[in-house]
Amino acid sequence: MGVEKRYAIGRPEEVRALNGVSLVLEPTEFVSVEGPSGCGKTTLLNLLGLLDTPSSGRIEWDGRPLAARIERERSRLRLTEVGFIFQRFYLLPTLTARENIELPLRAMRTPAESRRARSSALLEQVDLTPRADAFPHQLSGGEEQRVAIARAMANAPKLILADEPTGELDSVSARGVLKLIAEAHNRSRATVLLVTHNPEAARIADRHLTMRDGRVVADTAEHR
Amino acid sequence: MKRRTSGRRGHLHQRLQTIFAVLAIGTAVALPVILLSVGGGVSQHELNSLENAGYEIAVSGSGIHGVSSAHSLSDRIANLTEVKAASPILSQPIVAFLSGSGPIPVLAEGVVPLAFEASEGPTERSLFPSPLPLGDPTDSIRFANGAYDGPSASKVLISSPLAGALGVTTGTVVLLSGSDNRSAGASFTVTGTFGVPPSALGPTAAFAVLLPLSDLQILTGTAKLPGVNGATIDRADTIQVALVGSAATNPGTVLAVSSEIQNLVPYYGVTNLADQATQLGRLANVLTGFYLALSSVSLTIGITFLALVQLRRVEADRRTIGVRRAIGLPNRMIASGIVLDGLRLAGIGAAIGVATGIVLIGVLAAFGSGSVQEAAQLAIFNPVTLALVVLGVLGFSLLSSGLASRAAFRISIPETLR
Repeated sequence: MGVEKRYAIGRPEEVRALNGVSLVLEPTEFVSVEGPSGCGKTTLLNLLGLLDTPSSGRIEWDGRPLAARIERERSRLRLTEVGFIFQRFYLLPTLTARENIELPLRAMRTPAESRRARSSALLEQVDLTPRADAFPHQLSGGEEQRVAIARAMANAPKLILADEPTGELDSVSARGVLKLIAEAHNRSRATVLLVTHNPEAARIADRHLTMRDGRVVADTAEHR
Repeated sequence: MKRRTSGRRGHLHQRLQTIFAVLAIGTAVALPVILLSVGGGVSQHELNSLENAGYEIAVSGSGIHGVSSAHSLSDRIANLTEVKAASPILSQPIVAFLSGSGPIPVLAEGVVPLAFEASEGPTERSLFPSPLPLGDPTDSIRFANGAYDGPSASKVLISSPLAGALGVTTGTVVLLSGSDNRSAGASFTVTGTFGVPPSALGPTAAFAVLLPLSDLQILTGTAKLPGVNGATIDRADTIQVALVGSAATNPGTVLAVSSEIQNLVPYYGVTNLADQATQLGRLANVLTGFYLALSSVSLTIGITFLALVQLRRVEADRRTIGVRRAIGLPNRMIASGIVLDGLRLAGIGAAIGVATGIVLIGVLAAFGSGSVQEAAQLAIFNPVTLALVVLGVLGFSLLSSGLASRAAFRISIPETLR
């Protein structure tokens, strides 16, 4: 509520990336966010994903205030409650596809057998079982993003944050990735926030936000 | 293509950093390995020499040739209970002349043959002929109760290295003089040779000539004061006292006999080898501490280099570290990777350092010269010491890993994901 994020505070070059954004995300909602470059979409995503802290305002999950928590607690919440899908995939280059997917499960100290079973199931969901042992540099862009989606789903998160997941893909791969995100949302009933320039992505969402200059200027939820 | 080339270059840089970090640690470890192994070996050798000496107590006076009336004092000490032999020793530089040769400076040792033999340790016993072929076993004929009127046996032993260098054999006649003045010399017949033990704390072939004490005293003016009626001074450097049987290894008995001797000669210093061994042991500990202090400088440099390399790696891996933190991996998982990397580099470097130190010592022992070669040949490789050095390096690598981990935890996640 009333979240602001300022950089270079107090200096002549101070920037307001978010300027008093108030937003409520309901459970299981699929929300798309669009806007020009520099309007604060990624900053909003980073704050919701606890990757950053607001300069002022409140962020709450299920009524629990989060912003003031120490990094260790925020990290724990990211691991257990949030799944990230990045524009540039950001798979770890020294791990295979399966190992990338299992990484969050390792952090949860999940037993090896359970990890394997879960990663196999996810690989099947993203249609990459034959490529389980390939390294990221051996995968196409679309395949890398599908592995990233599987990694995001590994710990059954309640919130999925996707930052322009089709930004680096061709149209065919992009369609496949969006379909997978929609399927993941339907299967898991997690809340999804999708930052995108892609009009097809906007179509699969239930709710659309438009941002300009650090503010939400349009929200289809307000018209219901 | 550009991306691939810069990726390859980055990979090459990382490899070079790894190699240099390992070499830095290796160099840092090699130094203490060499210092501790050689230093420890030399100290242990000297301690062994003391422990293997054939005598337990030493009497010495102040100044050069500080013991006077050496013959009679030795006899009085030899008469004490528990004393097996009291051997006076005089060391003096003299000059040897061979037929047709110029002056050859040598270090000579004057002894009472029988007493000297009785106070030999196991090592010396193997180096000297038995009995010592120096003529008068008790040196009493030449000494003639302090008048030095008796005939000289005119016999001398020469060290094997000197004999080899001069081409001298048993039966050769050499002229020995207390100075460069050939006419002041006396002829001696070489009756045998003796071996030379290695000693890194003294010159090679510490003494080259062994002859009866009275003969050396007369050659060097330490028998009587100058002048026709000069008083007998009968100088020596030390009297080495050997005890009988079990008394030699009984600290109480050694102490008791030392006190008796001290009462006889209150104006002389009386030390027992146990005290000397303790002092040498303390000195060895001080030296070890010094070696470690010296080594800590090189180790600090090595670990600092390792820390720089690890920090550089964290910087190079900003993106992957940021991604790991973004998806919620706990700090322990990120830190463990850094720590394991540091331990790996430090471990490999330490192993290379230990191997390099051992090889270098071997090379010095085989191909070095003079005291460096002797010292290297005495090196002792104590596995516990080497293991402690390696563990120390591994322990310090945890410090550098800690620094690198802190840097990793401070990486701004949003910045790395841009």
